[in-house]
Amino acid sequence: MALLERSEWYDIARATNWSPRYVTEGDLFPGDLADPYHLPTTAWEAYDEPYKVSYREYVKVQREKDAGVYSVKAALHRSNYYNLAGPEWMGILKLHYGAIPLTEYAACQLQGQNTRFGRAGSMRNMATFGMLDEMRHSQLQLFFPHELLARDRQFDWAHEAHHTKNWLIIGGRHCFDDVMMTRDAVTNSIMTSFIFETGFTNLQMVGLAADAESVGDFTFANLITSVQSDEARHAQLGIPLIDMMVKHGKTAEVQYAVDVGFWRLWRVFAVLTGIPMDYYIPLDKRHMSFKEFMHEWVIRQFERQLKDLGLERPWYWDIFLNDIEVHHHIQQGGVWSYRPTMWWHPVAGVGPAEREWLDRKYPGWNASFGHYWDTIIDSLLAGREDLTQQKVFPPICNICQIPIANRPGPPWKARAFQLDFEGRRYHFCTPVCRWIFESDPERYKQHESLVDMLVFGRFDPPTPETVLRYMGIGVVSEGGRDSNNYEWIEAYRGKHGHAAKGQVSPLSDCSLGFKGGRKLFILSRFEGDGHVKTVEVDTDFTMDELARYCAQFSVGHHVPDQPGRVLRVRRTTSHDDAPVFARTMRFDDCQPRQMDSFDIFFADN
Amino acid sequence: MMANQSDATRNNSVGPVLRSGEIADAVIQALEEDNPGKEFVIQDHLAYVRIETENECIVRRETLERALGRPFQMPELEVNLTSFSGRIETTDTTMRFYLEKRL
Ligand SMILES: [Fe+2]
Ligand SMILES: [Fe+2]
Repeated sequence: MALLERSEWYDIARATNWSPRYVTEGDLFPGDLADPYHLPTTAWEAYDEPYKVSYREYVKVQREKDAGVYSVKAALHRSNYYNLAGPEWMGILKLHYGAIPLTEYAACQLQGQNTRFGRAGSMRNMATFGMLDEMRHSQLQLFFPHELLARDRQFDWAHEAHHTKNWLIIGGRHCFDDVMMTRDAVTNSIMTSFIFETGFTNLQMVGLAADAESVGDFTFANLITSVQSDEARHAQLGIPLIDMMVKHGKTAEVQYAVDVGFWRLWRVFAVLTGIPMDYYIPLDKRHMSFKEFMHEWVIRQFERQLKDLGLERPWYWDIFLNDIEVHHHIQQGGVWSYRPTMWWHPVAGVGPAEREWLDRKYPGWNASFGHYWDTIIDSLLAGREDLTQQKVFPPICNICQIPIANRPGPPWKARAFQLDFEGRRYHFCTPVCRWIFESDPERYKQHESLVDMLVFGRFDPPTPETVLRYMGIGVVSEGGRDSNNYEWIEAYRGKHGHAAKGQVSPLSDCSLGFKGGRKLFILSRFEGDGHVKTVEVDTDFTMDELARYCAQFSVGHHVPDQPGRVLRVRRTTSHDDAPVFARTMRFDDCQPRQMDSFDIFFADN
Repeated sequence: MMANQSDATRNNSVGPVLRSGEIADAVIQALEEDNPGKEFVIQDHLAYVRIETENECIVRRETLERALGRPFQMPELEVNLTSFSGRIETTDTTMRFYLEKRL
């Protein structure tokens, strides 16, 4: 018997709405779970998914997809590929598998919410497939790294990472809890189906596949593009909703959801995808820069679609364009500098040829990020590896949960954007994260970042070891070290600008002890440093002592000394124009409060 | 540099992004046949092929079957369709990529 064409029965099959008799419509679909925008029932009846699939087709196609993925895996298994792959590629796999599989499982729960609370039968139908898709993604991406576990314990993070409080995982989880797990079916479809799955997952799942293919990991390339073929379908769930919202006068509401979701996802994906693409992939295998992939997938493709739907690009577009040039570069420095906190071995990726490439792809890279890495290289050449391991934490953004950092000097851009709200001080990486907080403080105000916990005295004893264990380091596996055992610095030994024997500034070693005043955490915004730092100081210090004390965490770590000049202190202000404190003034006399930000900078006298 | 990035949104490109292989080759052939007079830009990115044209294009089952030399169901395209630019519309016998507004 011939089968009917799908179109002949599809409309009947998807019409699964009914009139409830025992409960009200509002009980069945509570606004905060289903639709807080109160779109009219007629609008919901017109919901028409653009990418249609029947259950029969779904099963057939998914079976074929899985058969493809597993057969390539089996073939590569025989080829011994992972014995030959370099530490850089293994680092990418560990990062990917730690970050992704359980995020997929979170997405499965989001699709579950839409399967129950989507107000159109066809939306619930699509979400059901989406739920099965996401289950497939988490299972595949847990199964593949499981095979690698026998050779390397760090692959255990594929399953464990999301059960830890590792700082990078908290960043991802805070974002996905916001855009996936704690919204209604309409908003989460805009933030996740539309922005995440049509905008950003392409970078990690398709863009990175080009690099994977280039390094010969066909298993991984095949796996992630197969995953993305599911996303391309179920991501379409959001499009009819946006059309409906715009048509019914809710453009401002959609735009808000887009602006929040886009920024949150950008901040996470720049770290997750940007760092591997621009630093970990061996130079001769790099297909395009992260910026070029962003250009292709997000600016050219995704933003264009935004326009087609009657929306505007986010209000912070210029800040975003600047962030493409900076954010993942300084976070790469941070990830490498705080390598013991990671679950893979971070790659520096800044040999002379790599730097030439970086400066070509990101004009000006050498003039700012180059200085940052030169400081690290000089300390390593001088035998002072200890200076390249950080002793204090950076403040962490209370929205994106990513360390507050910016372009290292010159020019000198790093700063925290702060807000005092209901008696608590919050810190943000940019005005955009601060705007997100201020637009909905009830949603965000309770969360404590790792640095808030440190400052609020939640760690006992408050040592780096306690914090590392809290983050799962030494529990799930050992933490990271330089992937290349510092062999990469040899290219610089004796070269121009790098002293043959290497010297370290006296500012890098500080013997100054506390003097018995109040202990206070401040933000040290040290001239030229790409990272703001959280430093506990003594209020009985003089300004000279304060500067000297803070210098040990920046000089030789991320900025060079400026011999012959002195350090001065002023409060951080938006125009760098606060009066400079007298050198002999007692710090307490400026009435400092917990987590006030101070500039420490070089001057002639 | 930044101006270029902003301007990049001003495009009317639509079309599929496919995993490289037999299906991608057949889709290219079918698209050219089903959309006479249209210029297609094809970018090979190793793991994926980006196929783009201005504003609208359609691919038909019949044409695809001829290009492949075997029967083909439209949903099977999903196995290789990792992404696409523009919007999508699917029927039993066609897949269409399009934009509503021309910039
Ligand atoms: Fe997924
Ligand atoms: Fe932030």
